[in-house]
Amino acid sequence: MARREVSRKTLLTVTAVFIAAVAGLTLALKGSTGLQWIVSGLTVGSIYALVAMGFSVIYSSTRVINFAQGEFSMLGGMLMYSIYMRAGLPLPLAFLVSVLIVTLIGAGLERATIHPLRNQSVISVIIVTIGLAIFIRATAKLIWGSEPVKVASFTGDKPLRFLGASIVPQSFWVFGLTLLAFVLVFLFFDRTLLGKGMRAAAANPDAASLMGISSSTSSLVAWTMAAALGAAAGIVIAPINFAYYYAGTMLGLKGFTAAILGGLGSASGAVVGGLLLGVLETIVAGVFPSGYKSAVAFVILILVLLIRPEGLLGRSEGVKV
Amino acid sequence: MSETRILEISGVTKLFGGLAALKDVSLEVAPGEIKGIIGPNGAGKTTLFDVLTGILTPTEGRVLFKGRDLIGMRPDQITAMGMIRTFQTIQLFAGMTVLENAMVGCHSQTRSGFLATSLRTPGARREEKEIIEDAHAVLKEVGLGTRAHETGTNLPYGQQRMLELARALASRPEILLLDEPAAGLNQYETGELSELLSGLRDRGLTILLVEHDMGLVMSVSDEVVVLDYGEIIAQGSPEDVQNDPRVIEAYLGIEAD
Amino acid sequence: MAGRKASRCDVERKEEPLKRAQRRDYRTLALVTGFILLVPAWAWLLPGDVIHMDIVNIMVFAGIYTFVVIGLNLLVGYAGQISLGHAAFFGIGAYTTAILCCRFTWFPTWLGVLAGVAVAGLIGWLVGVPVLRLKGHYLAMATLGLGEIAVILFAELKGLTGGTIGIPQGLNVKVSQIPALSIFGFDFDTDLKLFFLVWVLAAVVMLLSINIIRSRVGRSLRALHSSEVAADAMGVDTSRQKTRVFVLSAMLAAFGGAIFAHFQRYINPESFVLSVSILFITMVVVGGMGNLWGGVVGVITLTFLPSIIQALPYWIPGVPSGLMNFSNYSLMLYGALLVVFVMFMPQGIAAGLSKAAAYGENRFKQLRDRAGARKYEGH
Repeated sequence: MARREVSRKTLLTVTAVFIAAVAGLTLALKGSTGLQWIVSGLTVGSIYALVAMGFSVIYSSTRVINFAQGEFSMLGGMLMYSIYMRAGLPLPLAFLVSVLIVTLIGAGLERATIHPLRNQSVISVIIVTIGLAIFIRATAKLIWGSEPVKVASFTGDKPLRFLGASIVPQSFWVFGLTLLAFVLVFLFFDRTLLGKGMRAAAANPDAASLMGISSSTSSLVAWTMAAALGAAAGIVIAPINFAYYYAGTMLGLKGFTAAILGGLGSASGAVVGGLLLGVLETIVAGVFPSGYKSAVAFVILILVLLIRPEGLLGRSEGVKV
Repeated sequence: MSETRILEISGVTKLFGGLAALKDVSLEVAPGEIKGIIGPNGAGKTTLFDVLTGILTPTEGRVLFKGRDLIGMRPDQITAMGMIRTFQTIQLFAGMTVLENAMVGCHSQTRSGFLATSLRTPGARREEKEIIEDAHAVLKEVGLGTRAHETGTNLPYGQQRMLELARALASRPEILLLDEPAAGLNQYETGELSELLSGLRDRGLTILLVEHDMGLVMSVSDEVVVLDYGEIIAQGSPEDVQNDPRVIEAYLGIEAD
Repeated sequence: MAGRKASRCDVERKEEPLKRAQRRDYRTLALVTGFILLVPAWAWLLPGDVIHMDIVNIMVFAGIYTFVVIGLNLLVGYAGQISLGHAAFFGIGAYTTAILCCRFTWFPTWLGVLAGVAVAGLIGWLVGVPVLRLKGHYLAMATLGLGEIAVILFAELKGLTGGTIGIPQGLNVKVSQIPALSIFGFDFDTDLKLFFLVWVLAAVVMLLSINIIRSRVGRSLRALHSSEVAADAMGVDTSRQKTRVFVLSAMLAAFGGAIFAHFQRYINPESFVLSVSILFITMVVVGGMGNLWGGVVGVITLTFLPSIIQALPYWIPGVPSGLMNFSNYSLMLYGALLVVFVMFMPQGIAAGLSKAAAYGENRFKQLRDRAGARKYEGH
C-alpha cells in the first residue's frame, strides 16, 4: 500500500510538471495563438469531463461501462435545438426540459435493458449498451436528419479579449456548469447516505443491502445521473460545436478516455482527465495535420490502459475487472 | 536429496500491503506422503497453494520442486512439471461435459497446437484418442464413469468435487494439492474420498491436503502441519499434533467453543 | 467404493459421443456447402430484375464476411475475448493487397492476398500481446480505440493509402481500379466466379475451424473463457492461447478484407469504420456466440436483410415504398437486434432454430402418441 502511494504522488508530480512544460512551451513558442489553444482546449476538455463523470458515476456504482453515454449528450444537444430554437421556450426552461427528457430516457433504458441483465456476463452488457448507442443514434438521424444544426449561445457571441486570445461567452457557461456538476457529484457520493451506499453497493452488494440500498436502486440512480450529466454536456457545448446525430460517438469515446486517464470512478479524476485531454488534443491539432486530432485520445486511451489502468488519480482498486 | 524431498519450501513470506499472509513458512514434503495442512480460516492455507502453483509470487522465500526453483514460473509451467491443484470454490468449466472437463486436464500432457488440430494430422488424432481414453480412465477412478456425457455443472455437488479431482488427476501429476476437497460432501462421500486418497498415495502420488474435516485429515495424513496467522505452529504425526498444547490453544480450542 | 464398481459396466464399446458430434458437424458442413453452392441455380430461376435483388452478388459479400465472423466467433464466442476493432484487420488485408497490386502492376494478386493476411497476423500479434492482458470492458475499449486509430491512419497516410479518396483514385497510379483476383492465370472477374471461390474457401475454413473447436486447442479456449484461473491451473498457457486465437481471427478478417478489395475493385476508409466492426459483432451475436454454424447464419441473415427489406415494396403490394431507403433504418435495426438478441435469445438464431426444431419434433411425437392412444381406446 505504502509503495503505491509514493508512486501515485510521483506520478502526479510528473504529470503536473508535464502539463506545466507543455503549456509553458506552447505559450512561449506560439504566444497568443498558444493561449487560444489552451483556452479552447479547456472548454472542450470541460465537456469531456462532464461526459467522463457520467461514465464514472455508472462505473463506480455498478461496474458497468455504458457505451451509450455519448448518445445522452447528442440527445441533449438535439432536444435543446428543438425546444429552444424551434419551439422557442425560454432558455432555462428549455435547458431543464431537455435534461429531464434525456434523464427519463436514461432511467427507462436502465430498467428495460440493464436491470434484466444484472446477472449476465460482461460481454452481454457491453453488447447491449453498444446496441442501445446504435439505436439511439439511428433514431436521432430519422428525427433530426443528418445535417448539423446550430443552437444559439446562451449569452451572445461577443468574444472577450484576454492577452490576445478571444474567449466566447459560452465557454464560461461550460466552465461554470462543469464546476457545478463536479461539486454536486462529489457532494452526492461523499455526503449523502444514498451516494455512500451506492459506492458500497458496487464494492460489496451484501453490505450495501444491509444499509438498505439495493444494487437495483443504485443502478437506476446512477443511470439517471449519468444521463443528466451527459445531456447537460451536450446542451452547453451545442452553441460552440454544432449538434448532429453522430456527435455522441466521438464525445463518448473521448469522455471515456478522459475517465480512464483521470481514474475511472473518481469525479476529480474525470475533471483532471477531461481538461488534460482537451488541452493536449487542441495543441496536437494545432501542430500536426488536424486529421490526427482524434488519434490523440485513442493513443492516450491505449497507453493508459496498458501502463496504468487505474489512471492518474485512481487507486489500484478495481483494476482487474 | 531428491528421493527424500520432492517439494521443499523454505522461508516463504507473502505480504499483502504490509499484512503477512504467510510468515517465513518452511516445509518439506517427501515423495508418496499425504501431508495434511490445517488451521483456522485466514491462516494462509490457500495463499500457500497460490504461491506453490504460481498464482502469487512470494515476497520472500524459495520453493524447490524436484530440485527446481518454482518462483517466477507461470502456473501452466508448474502444472506441466507435475504439480496440480484443485480449488476451494469449485471451478468447473461451464458448458462442458464431464468428459470434456477431464479432457482439459490432459492439456499439459499433450502438444498439438492450432495447425496440427485444424489439419487433424495423424499425431493430433492419436493424441485426441489418448486424451479421450485417459479422461475416461480417471473418471472411472473417481466413480464418474457412467456420467461422462452429462454437463459438468449439472452434477450434484459432491460429484462436482470428484470431477475436479478427476480433472487434476488427468494431468498425471506427481504432487496433488487439494484445497478442501471434502467441503460439502456427506459422510458417505467423505469416506469414499478418504479411500481414494489412500489408494492414490499407495500408487506413489504425493498429496498436500488442506481440509477442515479433522476426521479425514487425521485418518489419511502421514503428517500434519498447522498454520496459524501465516505461521507454522506445529508439525508432526496426526497424534502428536492433536496433543500439542499450542495447537489446542490456537486452533482446536477455538473449534471446541 | 460402490460407485467405482458400478462404473465397471461402462458403455465402452458404444461409439464415443464426441466423435459422433464431429461426424454430425462434417455432415452438416457438406449439406450446407452443397446447398449454398446451388444458390446460382436459384438466382437463375429468380433473376435480379424480377426479385429486385442480386442474390449471387449478395452471397459474395456474405462469403467474405463469413471469414471474418468465423474468426471473430473463435475469439469472442469461444475464447470470450471481445474485440470491437476487427474492421481494422479487415482493412489491413484490403489495403495491403490493394497497395501492392496497384503500385506494382506485375504483383500477383493471390500473393497480395497472402501478404495482407501475413501483415494482419503480424500486427495482430504486436497489438494482441499487450492488449489481451486487459479484460472485459477495458479490452472492449482498447480494441475499439485501436480500430479507430487504424481508420485515422487509413485516412491520413495519404501517400500510402490514397487518403479519404482511397485506392486507386487517391493514389498516383496508372490503374483505374484494383485488379481482379487471379490465381494461376484464371481471373475471378465476375460475381459468379468469385462466388464459387469464396464459398469453397469458406467451407475449407469452416472445416479447419470445426477441427480446432473439437480438439485440445478448442477445449482450452472454452476453458479459459469459463475460468482463466482454473485453465491456468490445468496447464493452459492462457495468455499465449489468447494471443494465438486473436492472431488467427485477425488473419481471417484480413483474408476476407483482401478478397473484398479485389471484389469491390476500389477501397476507402469508409469500409473499415467502427460501425463495420460492430456489424461483425452483430453477426456473431445474432447467429450465436460460441456456435460456428450460428456465425454463418448470422452473416447470411444480416447481409440479406437490407436487400430483402428494400425489395419488400416490390414483392408485396401495399408495403410503403419508403422502405426502399432502407439505409436510413438499417443501423436502427442492427441496434435493436443486438439488444433483443442478447436479452431474449442470447444463444442466437442457430440455437433458436434447433430449439424450434426440437420443439416441433416433440410436438409431432406427442400428437402421434395421442392419436395412437385414441385408437387404442377405440378398440
